[in-house]
Amino acid sequence: MPDQRTDTELLLASRDEPEAFTELYRRHAEDLLRYFARRTLDPETAAELTAETFAEAFASRQTYTDKGVNGVAWIYGIARHRLGRFFRHGRVDASARRRIGMPERELPPEDYERIEDLIDFAPIREALSEALETLSPDQRDAMKLRVIDELAYQEVADRLGCSEANARQRVSRGLRKVALMLQERGMQLTTEVEA
Amino acid sequence: MNTDIRFLEQLEGDLTEAAARESAVLAGAGAGSGDGDRSRRLPRRERHWGAIAAGLVAFLVLAASIGFLTQRPGQERATSFSEVGDAAGGSGAEVPAAQGSPAPMPATDRGTTTWQASSGNGTRQEAPLAGGVNYDTATGGGAAGQPALNAPGLPATQQQGDLSKIVRDGRIAIVVPDGDFDASLNNVSRIATSLGGFVLTSSTRDQSTGIFTLRIPAKKFDVAMERLRGIGEVRADAVTGQDVTAEFIDQTARLQILLDRRDLLQNLQNEATTSSEILRLAGLIEQTQLEIEKTQGQLRYLKNQVAEATIKVDLRERHAPDDTPEPDTDNPSLADAIRLGWEGFLRVIGAVIVGLGYLVPIALIALAIWGIVTLVRRRRRGAS
Repeated sequence: MPDQRTDTELLLASRDEPEAFTELYRRHAEDLLRYFARRTLDPETAAELTAETFAEAFASRQTYTDKGVNGVAWIYGIARHRLGRFFRHGRVDASARRRIGMPERELPPEDYERIEDLIDFAPIREALSEALETLSPDQRDAMKLRVIDELAYQEVADRLGCSEANARQRVSRGLRKVALMLQERGMQLTTEVEA
Repeated sequence: MNTDIRFLEQLEGDLTEAAARESAVLAGAGAGSGDGDRSRRLPRRERHWGAIAAGLVAFLVLAASIGFLTQRPGQERATSFSEVGDAAGGSGAEVPAAQGSPAPMPATDRGTTTWQASSGNGTRQEAPLAGGVNYDTATGGGAAGQPALNAPGLPATQQQGDLSKIVRDGRIAIVVPDGDFDASLNNVSRIATSLGGFVLTSSTRDQSTGIFTLRIPAKKFDVAMERLRGIGEVRADAVTGQDVTAEFIDQTARLQILLDRRDLLQNLQNEATTSSEILRLAGLIEQTQLEIEKTQGQLRYLKNQVAEATIKVDLRERHAPDDTPEPDTDNPSLADAIRLGWEGFLRVIGAVIVGLGYLVPIALIALAIWGIVTLVRRRRRGAS
């Protein structure tokens, strides 16, 4: 039977009943992953940021007080902070995960395309085309095939003559670089996600 | 969890395990196992602020250390200042006249040479106080902004120098042989009167110590100091000069403007045809008159201050008991403890401020370097 408590109630309850936090995670994990994916354009980064945000929220849940801020809005506050750090430093650290003893996991290969499905590339295609010119030839080719031509990773790998894992890596790194660059130019990549 | 993304499922499992661990810890804490794990669970923000606070404390401690170290060479001088201040019954040492000020600082052959070394600028021995210059502002003899200068026959440069108005202040602590206090007291009084001055305040104790304030014509100030030094052994002396020339000129100009304004208002009043105008002008004239009198008062005060120097004399027999015995720091009374604590606190604050003066510019430079390095690294990362 699903938990009937509100997000705020769950977050407050998780202070003494840590398992309540897991329910909060179940409710919002995919939305948060989409939030990150649309902003970073990179499945790996989005997954890492999602993990780190929930880990930090879990570690800091004692500091949450119900002052009218919805529990999930509080989590999105952490998410924005983490995203800002990523755009500043160009990487995601795992400090919160280490603090609560969570492992740092690799993104399973089959998840790349699933997470990319969460990203709506249509509005940013034009900006992407310009940004692509700044990438290395390998990354640019992989990105074009994957994002512009919307080929599957296996097809991208075939066209480039590399392994599928290698194709994923090229696209992932290229996307990350493009996201950082567009962010520096102050370009809005995504529609707002309700927080 | 209803998702087809495996990573999210794995993450759920990881969070569930973390929650289970936390539950175990909480259960252990509830069972009386103490909160030994509490530090691990401190909120990140709390630890973050803790780190900032620790850094700040370290910075301040470093600043205080630097402050104390840098103040050490000046300790002797500081002691001399306080000796002079205490000896003369003052609340503390005053800063000597600024470099370039025409205040004369005669060198002394005895007493606190550090004072002289820090303040002596080798200027004239004679005070340029009255020097034949007469600012007769009440007559309005000068143009606005220029005091009326009556110094005929003086070279232009000397006239310029004589424009200076210096308020002089001397302090001297003299030790006389035991039993000589009364005779020395008479000497002090005689020196004051013989030079055209007087003893403004006098306070003696046990016929062995006394503090006197002398008012001496400014021109005789140096002579008075010299004669006072001859009374006994000079333990400390100090001469300060405050240049009030700018203030004097300002007030003089202001007075002239006010006088002109009053004349103008009076003329207008004479020509006024309606009663309301006359009343309004009368009010303005009265207000101007009040300001004129106030300004004249300030000028008179300045003139008096300039015309007569103040010398504070601390006279004591060699083995006279101290007026204010040093508090016993090993076993202080409550009042002494509070005072010592407060003084210590102020010293630490002073040292911290001095230290910050050294550290802040260095910290700013370090911050700028860090900022540049970060910027360069970010750009490089962006380029690669």
